[in-house]
Amino acid sequence: MNGRAVRLGLGLLTLALMLAALYMVFVYVPTEADQGIVQRIFYFHVPCAWVAFASFALVAVAGIFYLWLGQQVWDDLGYAAAETGMVFCTLVLVTGSIWAKPIWGAWWTWDSRLTTTLILWLLYGGYLMLRAMAGDSEQGARFGAVVGIVAAIDVPIVIVSVRLWRTIHPAVLVTRQGGHGLEDPRMVATLLVALAAFTALFIWILCLRFVTLRMHTRLGALARSLALAEAAAQD
Amino acid sequence: MNSFVAVLRKDLMLEVRGGQSTVALGALSLLVLVVLVFAFNPGGGEQGAEAAAGALWVALVFSGMLGATRAVSAENENGCIRALLISPLDRAALYAAKLAAAFIFMAVAEAASIILMVLFFNLEFDARVMRLVPAVLLGALGFAALATLLAGISSRLRGGDLVLPLLAVPMFVPALIAGVKASASALGGAPFGELAVWLKVLVAFDVMFVAAGYLLFEYVAGEE
Amino acid sequence: MTSALIEARALGKSFGPTPVLRDVNLSVEAGRGAAVVGANGAGKSTLIRLLAGLSAPSLGAALLFGEPARALRPALRRRVGLLSHQSMLYPNLTARENLEFYATLYGVEDARAEALEWLERVALGAAAEARVRGFSRGMEQRLALARSMLARPDVLMLDEPFAALDAEGTALAAALVVEAMGRGCAVLASAHSAGAFEEMGFAVLMLSRGRLVGAPSARQSAARQPLARQVS
Repeated sequence: MNGRAVRLGLGLLTLALMLAALYMVFVYVPTEADQGIVQRIFYFHVPCAWVAFASFALVAVAGIFYLWLGQQVWDDLGYAAAETGMVFCTLVLVTGSIWAKPIWGAWWTWDSRLTTTLILWLLYGGYLMLRAMAGDSEQGARFGAVVGIVAAIDVPIVIVSVRLWRTIHPAVLVTRQGGHGLEDPRMVATLLVALAAFTALFIWILCLRFVTLRMHTRLGALARSLALAEAAAQD
Repeated sequence: MNSFVAVLRKDLMLEVRGGQSTVALGALSLLVLVVLVFAFNPGGGEQGAEAAAGALWVALVFSGMLGATRAVSAENENGCIRALLISPLDRAALYAAKLAAAFIFMAVAEAASIILMVLFFNLEFDARVMRLVPAVLLGALGFAALATLLAGISSRLRGGDLVLPLLAVPMFVPALIAGVKASASALGGAPFGELAVWLKVLVAFDVMFVAAGYLLFEYVAGEE
Repeated sequence: MTSALIEARALGKSFGPTPVLRDVNLSVEAGRGAAVVGANGAGKSTLIRLLAGLSAPSLGAALLFGEPARALRPALRRRVGLLSHQSMLYPNLTARENLEFYATLYGVEDARAEALEWLERVALGAAAEARVRGFSRGMEQRLALARSMLARPDVLMLDEPFAALDAEGTALAAALVVEAMGRGCAVLASAHSAGAFEEMGFAVLMLSRGRLVGAPSARQSAARQPLARQVS
């Protein structure tokens, strides 16, 4: 399978889906009664959240395979997923904030979903800082895998505890409308298309990043072989 | 089992002999509580109880990070960690011993913190204070489990001191929420039923992180 | 199947692109000794670390008892002793407590008695209850040697064992090593110069810029010379 062709194909698919999603979000879907135009941001916010969480799971799974099999390709995948996921996680927080301001008058609401996403964002950040600090080494890959796995184990319990926190002591600001209670079937359709578009975007960017990391790994191996050959020539 | 006891005993001996860990932890907890008293300016009653619970757990987190780092990096002096790695000592047993040591240091520091908290936040030494002990112990165990594993990583990196809190604090959030809520309830005189749900969260947290640490420590401890 | 207890096969190690060890082949059988000699930076310590299983090879294999050193079973790790640049001793524990601790880890019966016996053997009996923090470098080295040998290992790896030892200490250490070889221990040592090792009947290998130049395997010379010279 020609890698470049696949990436090009993915890119085109992403473009098509995104155009469809943009059309549907801005033209097709009706304005929501309570919240007005701002509510359209929901169709960006939710898919980004889904992608951010899924990517996190991917980091953990890649970490497990890396520790188990010891093959660098799994670490490259995990690192790429962490970087890509971080971008989408940031988008969730930004869109959440943009959404909150006109509706609730505050830049940030401590509702359970946003709070959990914030914790996720911090975990991603910690992972990336760790990798930056550990540098380009087997140790860095190993540590990253461990942190990715532990953080992923942590997320479910974060979700549970934050939800308990919010229900037993309800927030001053009422929780936002979630993915439920969409009356109009056009809204459901738009959401589904937006989900598909963002998933395609995520996979495409992930592939690009992954391929870059693979090249970096191969380059490292080549540099090593070259250095060995040079040293042998000097013997 | 023998090895686990030997390592733990050795760590406790070192601590008694002149390690300054528990003293430093106690001092740190004291300072944190003082700062938070200035920050919150607590009155009595329920608001005081909430502030006190929060302060106690902030102190726990700070002292926990220091305690775990000390417990793990004690092996870096003179390269003792290498000797442990090439010995027949099971990596999981090493983790368990380090975890136990960190937990003991933290528990001692927490005992001091609780006393200071009662003093600083104008509470009473009564049954309510006793009721927050389970939450504090569970929280200390969970944090020790988490921080020992992460300290195994951070102690091996230059500038790793920054990474430990960066990773440990977000990961600890569920236990922090549960612990503060349980402690505030206990200090506010709430019945045990209200505490129970938070204690369950803490137990779940502890089980998961002790298990995770036990399984993953060998990937952290091996040398480059 | 070779009977070598310590073996390196086409062993290579690079840190990033920089090669530190290249195509190292050596084998040491039971009761034999090999000394790897080279200047600073030649890769001696890296070689020992690889063979001790503390580091993973970039190429080739580092084997102990025929198995990869990195993933040795606990039962086999019990039979390995290591003396490294760092003393691996706890400064705030006494000499005896240090040895007792390691003896317990290695499953030695009656750790306390063993610890005391070995303290005598390295002439530290008088300092048994003194904290290591106050020890001189030579005392530390002797204690570290005792630590590496007290479980009567079948494989002994010594990174510059005679560093910081005076003539008397060197003679003591050499005698202990020769005795270990006598009961079948395979010994790999590293040093700056070969002098003492040749007298102990070691095969000497030169390590230069990460490569071994010299005989590829350690075969005992026909007439093994124990260190018989009297040192005052």
